[in-house]
Amino acid sequence: MHADVKTPAVFAIVVLFITPSFIISASAAGDDTVSVLYAGSLAAVMENGIGPAFTQATGYGFQGEAQGSLGAAQMIRNHIRTPDIFVSADPLVNDKVLMGSQNGNLVRWYAVLASSQLVLAYNPHSKFLKKFEDAETGKILWYEVLETAGVRFGRGDPTIDPKGYRTLFLFNLAGRYYHRPEIPSLLGDELNPAQVFPEVVLLTRVESGQFDAGIFYKHEVLAHKLPFVSLPAEVNLGSQEFAAHYAEETYTTKSGEQVKGAPILFTVAIPETVRHRQAALEFVRFLLSSDRLLAQFGFGTVVHRAGGDAAQIPAELRQFISGTFKP
Amino acid sequence: MNQPTSRTLVVFGLLGGVLLLNLTLPILNFMLHADWRAWAAALNQPEARLAFRTSLAASAVTLFIMTLLGVPLGYVLARVRVPLKRFWISLVFLPLIVPDLAGGILLLQMLGPNGIIGAPLDARGIALTNNLAGIVFSQLFVASPFVIVSALAGFASVDTQLEQAAATLGDSRWQIFWRISLPLAWPGIAAGITLAMIRATGEFGTTLIMAYNPHTLPVYMWVKFESDGLAGSLPAAFWLVLLACFAVGFSMLFNRLTRSGGLMSPLGGDISGVA
Repeated sequence: MHADVKTPAVFAIVVLFITPSFIISASAAGDDTVSVLYAGSLAAVMENGIGPAFTQATGYGFQGEAQGSLGAAQMIRNHIRTPDIFVSADPLVNDKVLMGSQNGNLVRWYAVLASSQLVLAYNPHSKFLKKFEDAETGKILWYEVLETAGVRFGRGDPTIDPKGYRTLFLFNLAGRYYHRPEIPSLLGDELNPAQVFPEVVLLTRVESGQFDAGIFYKHEVLAHKLPFVSLPAEVNLGSQEFAAHYAEETYTTKSGEQVKGAPILFTVAIPETVRHRQAALEFVRFLLSSDRLLAQFGFGTVVHRAGGDAAQIPAELRQFISGTFKP
Repeated sequence: MNQPTSRTLVVFGLLGGVLLLNLTLPILNFMLHADWRAWAAALNQPEARLAFRTSLAASAVTLFIMTLLGVPLGYVLARVRVPLKRFWISLVFLPLIVPDLAGGILLLQMLGPNGIIGAPLDARGIALTNNLAGIVFSQLFVASPFVIVSALAGFASVDTQLEQAAATLGDSRWQIFWRISLPLAWPGIAAGITLAMIRATGEFGTTLIMAYNPHTLPVYMWVKFESDGLAGSLPAAFWLVLLACFAVGFSMLFNRLTRSGGLMSPLGGDISGVA
């Protein structure tokens, strides 16, 4: 009888004790682990390249999370994520969403990390494989493949992804470069539902052969081992040399903001949400000395200039950053 | 003997209460801090209205299809004698285990413009992705197991002696189904359909892959979250929660009207005796 009375209470105590300890142990992340919120297209280079190399070189742990650049910045701004490091696929995202008093000065400076370029990736089992290969070897022009009846290609969503409006720039630049003003009309409407998809969905569609081709960053395509056609520097947004040329193209967002064409640059910042400052400093230092590793993953090497308030750059990082950058 | 039993109930109630709080507090907190006027106004934007209409239309079609096909399947699984019956039943559970994104990819490889089924249709100008059909296929994949399983459990709980008695009186199986089996199994099935509807309307991962456009309410919510942050996505979240509440309320009312005091038992089974 005595045992009968006691058992439920013991059971309750045991369960109520065990449940929180599970949750606590599941939520524990070491103090010496850097948490990095990075632009989605960087998933391969971060998880397979930088992350492991950083851990090996410094002994610090690495915890990465891939999100769309804009979405990631919004998450930091809304305090949904508190990363130690934010890597953006567009310098402007820092300036517009995280910097300045209207954004709570969540980011005060950033460093330009690397450049990338747009390419036309295709599925190696596409019915139009021959045409894509001809474009790769220069026998025909890349947009001529896209003009072929029946070719399905996709692109990013300009409302949520810098790559989306960069693709619009690419086609406008191509129209001028090739003196073929009809090239942009290959896209149809800016938000043409037959072409516009989020990054992950578009990659899935091309990799699974549901689409023949898509416009991607070179580093994404290398990571996913898709064959691709390189595009001229005048149109691929990958060259600092043509910055003024790119800037002639503009895109107006739904909220009425104008975005100008610019070379594709990735940036790294330590937002005010940082919790593991030492690990974060080590990570930025490591990143800014990893040009060769980044090049292996398809990025272009650039001068690591400083955006925002250069005076706020921690002393430990100054030697890795030179010059200033304005988007 | 009475004393330990009630103590057990109290302890179980306390333990269950912790979980119940975990389920309801986020929603309660969200509703208490809801900016009703602004969020109602946000739904007036053309894109939001389109997403709302798309979600309603797709869910209605899904409801229709999964009821018409799922209830008969549940009946067959409950009544027919076939080898490996447990295996056939377990197939129904497969979509519940497959992660949403994986489900989208599997469907895409079947129904996409270059898929096994999608390609020949595409050649005839029929597209099954990136339109209402794509949404409905996604919703069917993730939600119809709830209907099938609740129908299976509902029919299994019907006393077969009742059916046999009707048969000896000369009723055909068709008549028995409509006069006896379905009415007796209905409360569980209706609850399963409600749960499936809520699951279908809230479906995100599979739909994202199968039909990014036209945006359903969950996809629209994600797009707003990506472009405008939390503030942009909250109105859509609010309307989704409200829709779910309406669905549950409607189901309870409907159950009350069609059968007195039936208890919600989404996966069927005869629990109305408890009430």
